Amino acid sequence: MFFHPKPRVEDFEAAAMPHFPDLYRTARLLAQDSAEAEDLVQEVYLEAWKSFHRFQAGTNCRAWLFKILFHRLHHFRRRWAKAAKVGSLENPETQDSLIAETPVPQEIRDEDVLQALGKVPIEFREVVLLADVQEFSYKEIAETMKLPLGTVMSRLSRGRKLLRQELAGVAQTFGIRPAKDPPRAGESA
Amino acid sequence: MNGLNFNSEQCARIRRHLDAYLSNELLVETTSDVLRHLESCEACSRELEARTRVRDALRRVAVSQIPPEELRQSIERQLRKMQPGFFGGPQRLTWAVALLLIVVVLGGFATEQWIRVQRGRRIVASVLALGVSDHLQCAIKGHNYPNIANPPEKLRQQLGPQYAGLLEVVQQKLPGFEVLEAHICSVQGSPRKYVHFITRGHGTILSVILTRREGEQLPNGKWFVSGSSGSVGLYEAHLDGMNTAGFESKGYFGFVVSDLSPAITVQIATELAPPLKAALDAGTGSEARLDLDAVPFARGGSAGVSPAVARASCPGVPVL
Repeated sequence: MFFHPKPRVEDFEAAAMPHFPDLYRTARLLAQDSAEAEDLVQEVYLEAWKSFHRFQAGTNCRAWLFKILFHRLHHFRRRWAKAAKVGSLENPETQDSLIAETPVPQEIRDEDVLQALGKVPIEFREVVLLADVQEFSYKEIAETMKLPLGTVMSRLSRGRKLLRQELAGVAQTFGIRPAKDPPRAGESA
Repeated sequence: MNGLNFNSEQCARIRRHLDAYLSNELLVETTSDVLRHLESCEACSRELEARTRVRDALRRVAVSQIPPEELRQSIERQLRKMQPGFFGGPQRLTWAVALLLIVVVLGGFATEQWIRVQRGRRIVASVLALGVSDHLQCAIKGHNYPNIANPPEKLRQQLGPQYAGLLEVVQQKLPGFEVLEAHICSVQGSPRKYVHFITRGHGTILSVILTRREGEQLPNGKWFVSGSSGSVGLYEAHLDGMNTAGFESKGYFGFVVSDLSPAITVQIATELAPPLKAALDAGTGSEARLDLDAVPFARGGSAGVSPAVARASCPGVPVL
């Protein structure tokens, strides 16, 4: 259409601002600190407003905002320190090793989660957050991240596994025993 | 529950489904398989419980990240600053293009109208100039009229049977004017001829001139027509010190020309134009259509009036 109806900032706020907490929390757990998270969220909203005339009312505003968030995130990543290399995770042997159970502490402290999460490479961390915290479906994640569905599934699986491993590592550092000793191969539970 | 099946092929298969199960992405049949296995496998149940515990801890940590209220307010402030004006915002370019198109279209239309009006005015001026030229040539410069009005019989004879009927119309519609002369003239160097009534009144000479349109046409529209009488549009102009009011019938242009004021000239034309037009359109009562070429003396006096009479009546211009 040649003429777009003029968007009103009140309409934009009504549609977009309810998702502000979710966007901030996701950004905060992906950015290195709160300042970067705030910059990221602010840019998301300003960019979303600029293209609000293209947003179709009635469609999924939350998914649209998250798509912008991850688009901006890719720009931010260039400024951030490189995330941990994930090449080794593509190694089949590594994948096999991930099938083994990971002892997860019975009591998981918030600071342990934050510490463990920070060690999970961001490519996996973002998929885990979208699935486990924001409860996006695999299909929504694929569209938001512009990834094939199979990649979303594998990243989620490996991301969760890495998080459990990191949690276990953090717990051992502080002398916290896992909930139960994992059964060893060939041993009945 | 027992863990005897741990590491079995079935456990390995179920654990490959645990992530999708946790995300509620499994098909109903596969979900049933997983649930059946979990009922009988403590190790896999424990693994699921561990994964659920990690997920819940992650959600708890996420919720504990309190979004700063200052950030929300800052965003809202910036959004309101970016609220576009009527022609602003993301549609600014669209508005600019639309405005440009409107200006171009309106400008083009206005220019086309202006050109049309100017062309129309030139046509009106050139047509009315015929009457003024004829009046000046024959009546004023040529002084081609007697001081004492010619008798009506002579005038009708000079006009020929096809135009003689117009004499009565002119006499009736020009109260206060005396018809001194009426004849048919031609224009030097041109095949055009015209019927010329020379009258005197209000202390001046006034001409009523009729000439064939030869396919020419006066333009219509409020920009050109200065008034109307009945259904006859009137055009007026001031040329060479003369005021003229013109009209057109099916085949003729008619002019009233004098040095009287424009208002009087137009008023006279208002009275004359409708009956003259009706007479011209009807052929002045005769069945034959009016045709200057059919006027006997205009063809060299082959019938009715001799060429000598015609020349004498209009010495300033050659007569065919």
